Amino acid sequence: MNVIFPIIFLIAAAIFLISDPEGFLPALLTGGEKAATLSLALLASYCIWLGFFKVMEQSGLADNLARRLKRPLGALFRSSDGEALKCAGQNMAANFLGLPGAPTPLGIQATQKFLAAKNGYAADMLFVLNATSLQLLPTTAIALRAAAGSASPADIFLPTLLATLASSLIGAGLVYLTRRRA
Amino acid sequence: MKWTALLLPALFLALFGYALFKKVRLYDCFTEGVKGALPLVCSLFPYLAAILMLSELFEQSGLSAAITQALSPVFSFLGIPKEIGGLVLLKPFSGSGSTALLSELFTTYGADSYIARCAAVAYGSSETVFYISAVYFAGSKKNLAKPIAIALFANLLSVILGCFLCRIM
Repeated sequence: MNVIFPIIFLIAAAIFLISDPEGFLPALLTGGEKAATLSLALLASYCIWLGFFKVMEQSGLADNLARRLKRPLGALFRSSDGEALKCAGQNMAANFLGLPGAPTPLGIQATQKFLAAKNGYAADMLFVLNATSLQLLPTTAIALRAAAGSASPADIFLPTLLATLASSLIGAGLVYLTRRRA
Repeated sequence: MKWTALLLPALFLALFGYALFKKVRLYDCFTEGVKGALPLVCSLFPYLAAILMLSELFEQSGLSAAITQALSPVFSFLGIPKEIGGLVLLKPFSGSGSTALLSELFTTYGADSYIARCAAVAYGSSETVFYISAVYFAGSKKNLAKPIAIALFANLLSVILGCFLCRIM
């Protein structure tokens, strides 16, 4: 980000300087405003899900799930850290079900634990899996199509699922192939 | 797709029922979890602000439109309709921006047109890569060039594949 941020920022600022100097500050302010509203929306959904996950934790369900998934997840992330794998597994499940806002807090926890254990490979893998959209149902796209008066809004389901499955596999494969050999 | 709406209440009902069965003090436990929400948002806020300002500059300066223009031969070579080039480019930066763009494409071309279907698939099969990287790696000193490059590449492939599938399905 320390490379991408300055490059895009400087080019965009230069364009503003030449073509529209008055538009620069409003653009930045819009960004800041969006950050503020988004944070509130995130706060609202984190309240729900962090509460939900705590209940999952204390009822023993999370541990139960983690025990069952320990082997495949351990192989995927090349990690034996039970706590981190538990978060990562729940993150993937939440992604798959498309629970809005739920994957993020889990993903952050898992990433922090992986990084603390100096397992950059696992952090990369989790990020790429999240960033290639492991969703079963493209709910937003379907809802928007329905709102725009589509005759069969859900007919994009299959192509979307196939495309996103392929991209997740390719992404995971690339992370695996480019890993640093220990 | 009504049954998807059933998922959430059913999930909560099942978990809370199970928790009560396991004699969890539900109220104490739930509030204990919520306690973490505010610190989490606070820790994410600076990165969110920087990324969203950047995506605003990217869009409003016309840089995004210029790159889309420049890349349109590449897109058409890859089988991506040039009308959705802007969406493909914007999606890694901004979820809300690309959502707005998607519904704009639906109104312009009709929700059942080939372009709209491609756009919907492109939207649904790719992710806000920069945003996710900012949030997941918030505050870490890790070199992110490789994972971001892989994620962007995989997302591009899924758009190409999605447009192709829309043509035959």
